Amino acid sequence: MVHQLRIGSRLIEEDVVTIATVDLGYIERAREGKFDLGWLRDSHAEWGIRARPSRVGLTLRDIAVGSYGEVPDHPPKRTMAPRGCDVDPDVPDMGYSINDKAEVWSDNVMELYEEAVSRQWSATRDIEWTELPELDADLEHAMCQLATVLSEVEMVAADFPAKWLWRINHDFVEAKMFLCTQVMDEARHTEVFRKRALAGGGGLGKAKAVVEQFLKVILDAQSYDEGSALMHLLAEGLVLSLFRAGELLSPSPVEKKIFRLCMQDEARHVAYGTMHLRYRLEREPALAPDFHAYLDRGEEIIAALFATPEVVEPTAILAAGSLKAAEEMGVGVSDILRTRMIEEYLARCDRAGLPRRGRMRLPEIILAGTSGGAEACVEGVAS
Amino acid sequence: MIAVVAATGFPSAEWFASLSAHATSDPERLRTLGVADFRLAVEIVDTDGKVRTFGVIFDGYDITSAGEFSDPEVFGSEATLTGPIEAWQAMVANITEHGAADGLHTLNALSIADTPLKVVADDPMGRDKFFRYAETLQTLFDASGLVALART
Ligand SMILES: [Fe+2]
Ligand SMILES: [Fe+2]
Repeated sequence: MVHQLRIGSRLIEEDVVTIATVDLGYIERAREGKFDLGWLRDSHAEWGIRARPSRVGLTLRDIAVGSYGEVPDHPPKRTMAPRGCDVDPDVPDMGYSINDKAEVWSDNVMELYEEAVSRQWSATRDIEWTELPELDADLEHAMCQLATVLSEVEMVAADFPAKWLWRINHDFVEAKMFLCTQVMDEARHTEVFRKRALAGGGGLGKAKAVVEQFLKVILDAQSYDEGSALMHLLAEGLVLSLFRAGELLSPSPVEKKIFRLCMQDEARHVAYGTMHLRYRLEREPALAPDFHAYLDRGEEIIAALFATPEVVEPTAILAAGSLKAAEEMGVGVSDILRTRMIEEYLARCDRAGLPRRGRMRLPEIILAGTSGGAEACVEGVAS
Repeated sequence: MIAVVAATGFPSAEWFASLSAHATSDPERLRTLGVADFRLAVEIVDTDGKVRTFGVIFDGYDITSAGEFSDPEVFGSEATLTGPIEAWQAMVANITEHGAADGLHTLNALSIADTPLKVVADDPMGRDKFFRYAETLQTLFDASGLVALART
């Protein structure tokens, strides 16, 4: 039944529940013990299908039993009803736009959710902030600039899944739940690097337009496909490598622990992104050219980061121990880091079923020593 | 300090069993770190080129030593951490001296440039587990000092 409703200044016409549509007589009947019991009588629930806990407790994998474990490729409805329950035929359409399982699924998503929940940590409690040593000014500046960049980029990895979460069909609830853990992880990453910048007295450094431009590309992605490839596979893969470098270059055990804990979270996000893309392409191989196009664009922008002083120089100074030493040594560490980042990214692209070796279109000065460019393949670096 | 490491029986299946036992002696600590699911091979290359491989299994909150393997394929590792015995001994000595790895001797620091240690995996997802469980792995190897204490 369609009703006109006034909500504040808005007049809406919707097929919604209002007090006029409620069977008030039911309240009276229920008082007298005349129950309806339709919910019990007409149930198709799998009575007797019992989920058993495994060693670490009752996991999502443990409850994927009977029909409850079957995730439809194309759900028949767009509803928030828990998958596998009896659904009222009159449920409203939630308007989800991601209704194909392959658009968000990955075979490891249940395990990654459990792992994420189990491996949460607190930037307030688990970092020994009182043990942060007084650093030389060069090192404190460098650490704070690195922390500024990281605090800046981390939140997009919360904003992006959050932007798409409500559009994802509820039958893919495990994937939605995993993305929720990512939102929490990234909030904590933003938090811990902001705290690091402020805890040592150096304060926040500089945010560069080039960094913001890349974040905007992710946020403005026209599809989850595009954004996930850019973020989960490309950007977070590079951030994971950066966290590894951060752990090595950190001036004290306090930062080392920060980077190790962030590294763990980031590797989960990358594991989802890689295996999600694989799942997607296995089912729709014709999408490969689209994904290559997304990554062509993303790589070009992210390559600019390798020529951004606010990103390159802090790591060089942390590696050398001082600005003077870094000026004498150059950015050798950054070169190792760049090579590492690109090779790890290429290996994940291979795993995802989207080989990018030999087809990265970046300047030689960035691809040197990697198997990303066409020349590298000819010379056999890719092997 | 290297002599101290040798005195602890490193490397041997017994040493890795002792390492796992010490690392899991505080179950609450492992529960705090969270679940892990990983089969790691530890490969130690002796000065004469002879390779010895030990398996470690991370399963939920447990860490168990799977002993030594003449054929690493049998163990079915998802990633292998490999390097010369001098690097391994230096790491264990450093941990024994400081109680935990110092900044230059964490697993990540030793392997990030592929030297002296290197993470090798056929599948990058296996390789990435080395990072997904970084804190758990470090907790395991930081128990090296406890092995030394127990043996000396
Ligand atoms: Fe992050
Ligand atoms: Fe992330």
